[in-house]
Amino acid sequence: MRRKQILASAWQNMKQRRFRTSLTTLGVVIGITAIIGLASLGEGFRVTIGKQMEQGFELNVLTVLPGGILTGVPSPFTNDDIQNISKIDGVTTATPIIQKSDVKLFNGDKTSKPLVMLAVNFSEFWTIYPDRLAFESGSLPQSIRNDTSIIGYNVQHPTENESFAYTGQNITVQITFRQTLPPRRENFTFNLAGAIAKSGAAGFINFDDAIFIPMDTAKELYNITNSDMIFVKIANPSYSDSVAKAIQNRFEGEEDVRVLVPAAFLEQVESVLNMLQIFLTGIASIALLVAGLGIMNIMTVSVMERTREIGILKAIGARSRTILTMFLTEATLIGILGGLAGIPLGYAIAQVMGRFLFRFSAEVTPRRSIITGATTHPLMEVSPILSLEWVLIAIVFAVGVSVLFGWYPARKAAKLDPVKALRYE
Amino acid sequence: MGMVIVSALRGVSLQIEEGEFVAILGPSGSGKSTLLHVLGGLDRPEEGEVLIDGISLYALNDNKLTDMRLHKIGFVFQFFNLLPRLTALRNVEIPLTLANVSEQESVRKAREMLELVGLGDRIAHRPTELSGGEQQRVAIARALINDPKIVLADEPTGNLDTTTGGEIVRLMQRLNKEKGQTFVVVTHDPSVAENANRILFLKDGLIQGEKEGAGGAHQ
Repeated sequence: MRRKQILASAWQNMKQRRFRTSLTTLGVVIGITAIIGLASLGEGFRVTIGKQMEQGFELNVLTVLPGGILTGVPSPFTNDDIQNISKIDGVTTATPIIQKSDVKLFNGDKTSKPLVMLAVNFSEFWTIYPDRLAFESGSLPQSIRNDTSIIGYNVQHPTENESFAYTGQNITVQITFRQTLPPRRENFTFNLAGAIAKSGAAGFINFDDAIFIPMDTAKELYNITNSDMIFVKIANPSYSDSVAKAIQNRFEGEEDVRVLVPAAFLEQVESVLNMLQIFLTGIASIALLVAGLGIMNIMTVSVMERTREIGILKAIGARSRTILTMFLTEATLIGILGGLAGIPLGYAIAQVMGRFLFRFSAEVTPRRSIITGATTHPLMEVSPILSLEWVLIAIVFAVGVSVLFGWYPARKAAKLDPVKALRYE
Repeated sequence: MGMVIVSALRGVSLQIEEGEFVAILGPSGSGKSTLLHVLGGLDRPEEGEVLIDGISLYALNDNKLTDMRLHKIGFVFQFFNLLPRLTALRNVEIPLTLANVSEQESVRKAREMLELVGLGDRIAHRPTELSGGEQQRVAIARALINDPKIVLADEPTGNLDTTTGGEIVRLMQRLNKEKGQTFVVVTHDPSVAENANRILFLKDGLIQGEKEGAGGAHQ
C-alpha cells in the first residue's frame, strides 16, 4: 500500500475521533513537556552553576593547603617548599600566603571589619590574579613598604554608599593576638595603597572581605617564618594533574598536604549536576510512560471499533503488515504531534520556572558562607537551555513510546481473522 | 486453464469454468457463506483444497494468499461493507491502493469502473449518502477494479428490495458477459439464482443437485 495513502488514512482516522485523539496526544504532550522542561532547566542550572564556579575558580591556579584542615600543622610551608614548587614543570609562579583573622580597621571615626587579613608578596600575588585583583582606586605601588596595605571591596564599602578610606591615607589596624592568654590587642598604622574592585571569591578566599599586607610585615608581627598556603599558578590548566602530583610527591613523608585542583573540582560538580539532570529527566519519563499506556488503551478501543473495517480491508487483499503499519502510523503521528507540542511548551514552562526562582532569590538576603566568607545568593536566575540534542531525544522518546505501546493493539488488529472480523457488529 | 476445483465442507466437490455465472442456492445455515469464504481464500478449510488457475490456495502462505484475494478474487457482500468515511471513488480505489497502483492511475480506473456500474455522477458521495442499490454497485465496482478472475458475491441482493436486487443481478450478468469474469453468487432467493448459467443446491454442507439456470448454458 502506498505510504502516502496510509498516512492520509491514519490522519483521517485521527481527525474523525478528534476529541479522543487530542486527549491521547495530550498525554504525550505532558510527558514531553515534563522531560523538556526539566532537561532544559537542568541544563541551564548546570551552565549557570558551571559559570559561577569558573568565576570562583581560576582553573590555572592550584592551592596547596596543610593536609587535615583540623589536625594539620597551622603554618607548615617553608621558603624551601615554595622554591621547590616553583621549579616544578608547568609552574609559572608559586607564592606563599599567611592568613589571619581578628583584625579591625579604624580611620578616624570610621571602622571596617575585614573577615581575613592576607599577608602576601604583593608583586607575585598580583601576577597570579591580574584580572580579579583590578583596582577600584589606587594601584599596586612600585615599591612596597612594610606598612603598605590594600583592602577589598567590602572592606572599603562596609555599607553601600560609604567609603572607608582614601588612597594614601594612613589607617589603623587593630590586631588581636590569641597566642597569649588573655588575648592581646595592639594597634598598627598602615598606609592604604588602594582598594580593589568587587572581585568575588577565588576558591576558598573572598578577596572582597580581605585586607592585604606585606608578607615580611606579617612574619615580624606574628613572629613566624612559615606560611599557611601556597598559591601555584600553572602555565595551562592541562598541567593541573601533573603539577598536583609533583607537589604531593615533594611533601611525601614530610607533611600531609592537600592540593586543590579547581579543574578536578569542577569536573566533580559537573558530574553531580549531570546525574541530577538525568535523574530529573528520568522522573519526567514516567509521565511519558503513562501517556504510552493511554495510547495503548485508546488504540485497543480503536481496534475493536474498527474490527469490521479491518475485516473488509483484509478480505479485499490488505496484508497483515499493511494493517499493522496503518495502526503504527497513527501511533507515530500521535507521538510526533505530542513531541512537537511538548517541546516548546516544556521550554516555556522552564522559562517561567527559571524566572520564578530568580524572583524568589531577590527576596532572600544574601548569605555569607562560614567557611569562605563568600557572599552567595542561595537561589539564582537560571535561564533554561534547550539543546538540539534534547529536542531529538524528546522526539525519539515520544515516537518510541507511542510505537512501543501502540504495537500490541496494532498487532492485534493485524492478526484479526477477516471472516470473524466481517461478522463483528 | 481457468478451472476452479473445490473439495470442501462436508465433502463438497465442484468445478467452475472460467467465465461461468454460477449460483449457489440454499437455505440459511446450509454452509453457503462458508463455501464462498473457502472459495475466496478467507477461511482455511480443515481438509481439501481450492485450486484457482491451477494454484492451490491454501498451500500458499498468508501473504501470497492475501495477494491472491487482492488480484484474482473480488468480493461482494450482503451488507456492502464499504468504508463509511470514504467516498465512493475512494472505496473503489482501495484495492488499487493496496496493489500500489499510482494515485493518478487508480483515480482514473475507479472513475471508469464507477461509470461502468452506472454511478458516474455519484463518485464523491459517501456510503451514507447512497441508496442500498447504489452502495452495492460501489461494492461491485470495488470487487472488479483489480480485474479479478472470479467475483464471489455473498447474498448480494439480500439487503435490497426486489426491484433493486434485480438490477444488481442484471448488472452482474452484464459484467459477466462484457468482461468475461467468473461470477459465483450465493443466495437463498431462487429468483436471483434463476439468472445464473448453473444453479447448485446446497444443503447441510453438501451439494444436493444442480440445474441449468435461465442465464443459459455457459459457452
